[in-house]
Amino acid sequence: MTGMDHPVSAVAGSGAPRRGGLGTLPSFRWVAIAVILVGWFVYYPIVDNFVVSTTNQDIYTGEIEYVGLDNYARLLDDPVVWISLRNNLLYAAISVVFQVFAAFLLAAVIEGLESERSRRFWRAVYFVPSAISITVTGLLFYFIYQPRIGLLDAGLSALGLGALSRPWLGSEDTAIYAIIAMSQWQGFGYSTLLFGLAIQKIPRELYDAAIMDGAGPLRRLWNVTFPMTREMTGLMIIVTITGAFQVFNEVMVMTAGGPNNSSQVLGTWLYQQGFIQNEFGYGAAIAAVIFLVTLVTGMAQLWYTRHRRVQL
Amino acid sequence: MKRSSHVVAVAAASALALSAGPGSAREAVVADPNAKVEYSGTLSILTKFGLQQLSPYFVNVAKEYEKLHPGVKIELIQESDDSVKGKTKTLVASNSLPDIYFSWTGSWGENFVRGNRAVDLTKVVGPDTPWGKTLSPAAVKAFEYNGKLYGIPLYLDAKFMGYNKPAFEKAGVGVPATFEKLLEACDALRKGGTTPISLGNKEAWPAVHYAGQLLAYNVPTATLERDFDPARAKFDDPGYVASLAQFKALVDRCTDGAAVNGTSYASSLQAFSNADSAMYYQEIIEFDQAASADTKLKGADFGFFRLPPPAAAKGDVKAIEGAPEGYMINTASKKIPLAIDFMKFVTAPENARVLSAPPYGQPSAAIDGASEATMNPAVVAGLKDIASASYLMPWLDTANTPRVAAAWLSSLQALVGGTMTPEAVMAEVKKASAADAKRK
Amino acid sequence: MSAPSASHPAGQVNVWAVVARTFLLALLVCLGIVVLYPLIWMALNGFKDNSQIFGDPFALPAGWSWANYVQAWNQGVRNYVTVSLIVTVASGICTVLISAWTAFGLTRSRMPMKPIVVGFVLGGLMLSPTVALIPLVKMLQSMGLYNTYWALIILYTAFRVPFTTFLIRAYMLDLPRDLDEAATMDGASEGQVFWRIILPLCRPIIISCVILHVLFAWNEYLFAMIFTSGADLQTLPVGLTSIMARHGTNYAVVFAAMTISALPIVVIFFAAQRYFIRGLAEGIGK
Repeated sequence: MTGMDHPVSAVAGSGAPRRGGLGTLPSFRWVAIAVILVGWFVYYPIVDNFVVSTTNQDIYTGEIEYVGLDNYARLLDDPVVWISLRNNLLYAAISVVFQVFAAFLLAAVIEGLESERSRRFWRAVYFVPSAISITVTGLLFYFIYQPRIGLLDAGLSALGLGALSRPWLGSEDTAIYAIIAMSQWQGFGYSTLLFGLAIQKIPRELYDAAIMDGAGPLRRLWNVTFPMTREMTGLMIIVTITGAFQVFNEVMVMTAGGPNNSSQVLGTWLYQQGFIQNEFGYGAAIAAVIFLVTLVTGMAQLWYTRHRRVQL
Repeated sequence: MKRSSHVVAVAAASALALSAGPGSAREAVVADPNAKVEYSGTLSILTKFGLQQLSPYFVNVAKEYEKLHPGVKIELIQESDDSVKGKTKTLVASNSLPDIYFSWTGSWGENFVRGNRAVDLTKVVGPDTPWGKTLSPAAVKAFEYNGKLYGIPLYLDAKFMGYNKPAFEKAGVGVPATFEKLLEACDALRKGGTTPISLGNKEAWPAVHYAGQLLAYNVPTATLERDFDPARAKFDDPGYVASLAQFKALVDRCTDGAAVNGTSYASSLQAFSNADSAMYYQEIIEFDQAASADTKLKGADFGFFRLPPPAAAKGDVKAIEGAPEGYMINTASKKIPLAIDFMKFVTAPENARVLSAPPYGQPSAAIDGASEATMNPAVVAGLKDIASASYLMPWLDTANTPRVAAAWLSSLQALVGGTMTPEAVMAEVKKASAADAKRK
Repeated sequence: MSAPSASHPAGQVNVWAVVARTFLLALLVCLGIVVLYPLIWMALNGFKDNSQIFGDPFALPAGWSWANYVQAWNQGVRNYVTVSLIVTVASGICTVLISAWTAFGLTRSRMPMKPIVVGFVLGGLMLSPTVALIPLVKMLQSMGLYNTYWALIILYTAFRVPFTTFLIRAYMLDLPRDLDEAATMDGASEGQVFWRIILPLCRPIIISCVILHVLFAWNEYLFAMIFTSGADLQTLPVGLTSIMARHGTNYAVVFAAMTISALPIVVIFFAAQRYFIRGLAEGIGK
């Protein structure tokens, strides 16, 4: 069974014999396209982004002015950068709660069902939103959140909770939470599915032994399932945090960062600066912040997967 | 204020950036009225008529033009009012502006002129030229920069308060003469159970339009124009804060209040057309969408008035917010004479009249482009109002620099939402303007 | 493939177990409703008109007229689907072929500095498209690729090759070496080994990769929004937002368009669930 152990060996060399030498150079033809493609379109732009971030450019005249680290200094003074950072962090924290811990519990419940058919059914049901484009779900929730006439407010007033209704996307207090909520709705099925796969791989004997010891379902969950999927949990936390710093689509589609920039995240603020306010250089500096954060989380992920390999 | 700034190639590293930089130094291009038109090839146009009801206009004109000149193919990029801003900037940044592109007046159009991206059309569209004589001189002049003319005005636009006549009658209110009377009318309407004004401010510019008109009333014109330029801007006139306080009162007494930030402008127009609200502040180019044969609000029930000025207004109470909108020709185009010829065709009286009449209802800037027989009478009347205005107040978000415009947009959303005071809004605007002044 | 039974304490009949079971089942059902209802609502709204959508949001449509779906299809969605198909198929083929090719080189052939190459290609996984956005705009413009199919095909390929290579490489590492070694003994070239032996053996993971790529390319928004401008080059996600802007207030058509764009991917998911899940399972390292 090929499965979760693979990421482990991801970057850790390969199984092929390593006998180099000039005679083996033609073998580069196998990797040449990928190396050029990735180097040119994935790596080079990152380097170029740092160059751009030290300039101010006027897109209309094409003038480029070298400003050193001014754009980075401006980041510190820009209150919206801090709002964005806070929102990205909120995104990360809430997503970890729902898409990691709640999803784990849900997966445990589903995998505890007796018939394979019902397990498969529930996994599939919860996964459906993850297969749908964020543009679609974003627009959908835009309608759901419409003040008074939207599905949410209509539902609340049908339940006699009309007092709770508010302009979910139109209020500075709730906009970002409304977007994050949509994101959880869309994403938790995906991680539930992955946790399900991890739980399936736990040797059955461990549960049998626990039952012999008289452990109830909760105890088994805590003593067997949780520790046996710890690696998966760790990985999911890192992946979720990385994702939270790359958020763009849902915010763009639902509020474009409004009202009053209260739901801005780094990705949309970059877009707003770079493409709406013509500040390519400043936009690039914001991009550099995203790069830095995702680099750290990416490194953590790499370290984690390698570290796990050592443990196994 | 000063920073050792120099336009340079910073050694090898930024040579990379430069090589891919957006079009280095372009040359100014002057249109030649005697240039020979070659009727061949593809002509591309970025329009602002992406909306379902409007998009057939350019499609049909292009078809006719292609029929007339079989060698020509017209390629349309039709964007909506909302998306055209982002699209234009992406096209500029990637040097792929089409041959002809939409532009507002004010700082929006100035950007194209500054970057030598707009062809100097003085010799073809100037007031003494054959073409220029067919267009409204004021509209042509609205695209004047540094004494030269750069735009072809297509239609005139201005903001009016549209109202539902039966709803007003039912509530026993008349057309208000002052801003204070308008607020009282709102109270009366609300008592009767209708939303007085539907406002959708999700896109943020609807609030900016209200603010713009109120600023024109409360702040002297010379002060306003000075403040458009970050280098001279002070934003110290008390009329600014007064205007914002008035606007906030209007939001609180006439609209759904803070909820409007979650509603799109399209759905608030819809509410008005559905007769769910009594008023909707709209552009004259929206008249034919607000009330038509297909809407609940019928043309006969539709009325309009200028947003009434406050009693103590210190600015120009005869000013009206609005500006012509038009098209520019790309200096990088290889088919400038053809592009000009096509725009002449678009503004020719027969096409202009189609544009002015329903279902489009975009009052043409061509002098012979209005025919009262086919036009919506409200549009005809609105045009007369525009003609009698003493000053056309440009839209705040296109008259100001992008950073100042962004400050207006986001902080007015906060004012509407109740999280910022008028003073705080002005502080934000001032800050943005000062930051821009520092850069230049 | 028996899963741990969380609710069956070794054959004892226990009241609490029954209560817990019922509670958990109710939870699953409620959650299922929360997940599916908005989607069903979306599809149903395509059959309504504005006043029904907002006036009586929970009601079933008054009639089952396909008019809004037809209108959505004819007024843009057809074009968007075509563009999305072209971009998805072309970038899918490029991505999977290049990745399989690369994975083969990384697992089966000898080359100097292999660990560095592995690190380079797979390291691309960590770089986010957002960060590259501004430089890419300038780069594609100077290459004359802005607003062409190629812009999206190349970018989707370049940004997906690391991930896809990662999946295929992991799979290839697990393949027994006897077959290809035997073939090499018999004088087969590396190329022959790749096309005739390894690629067919990798079929399951290739299918998973194709499906994951479809999921990605069909739904991608950022690049599609930035790198195309003409209406004839808009993919579904971008087209949807422009339908929203263009139709202003005819929301039923917007709902119909949303449903049409979501449907193919949901169908593919149910049809190929097995491969989907395998791909995800392998891909969790991302």
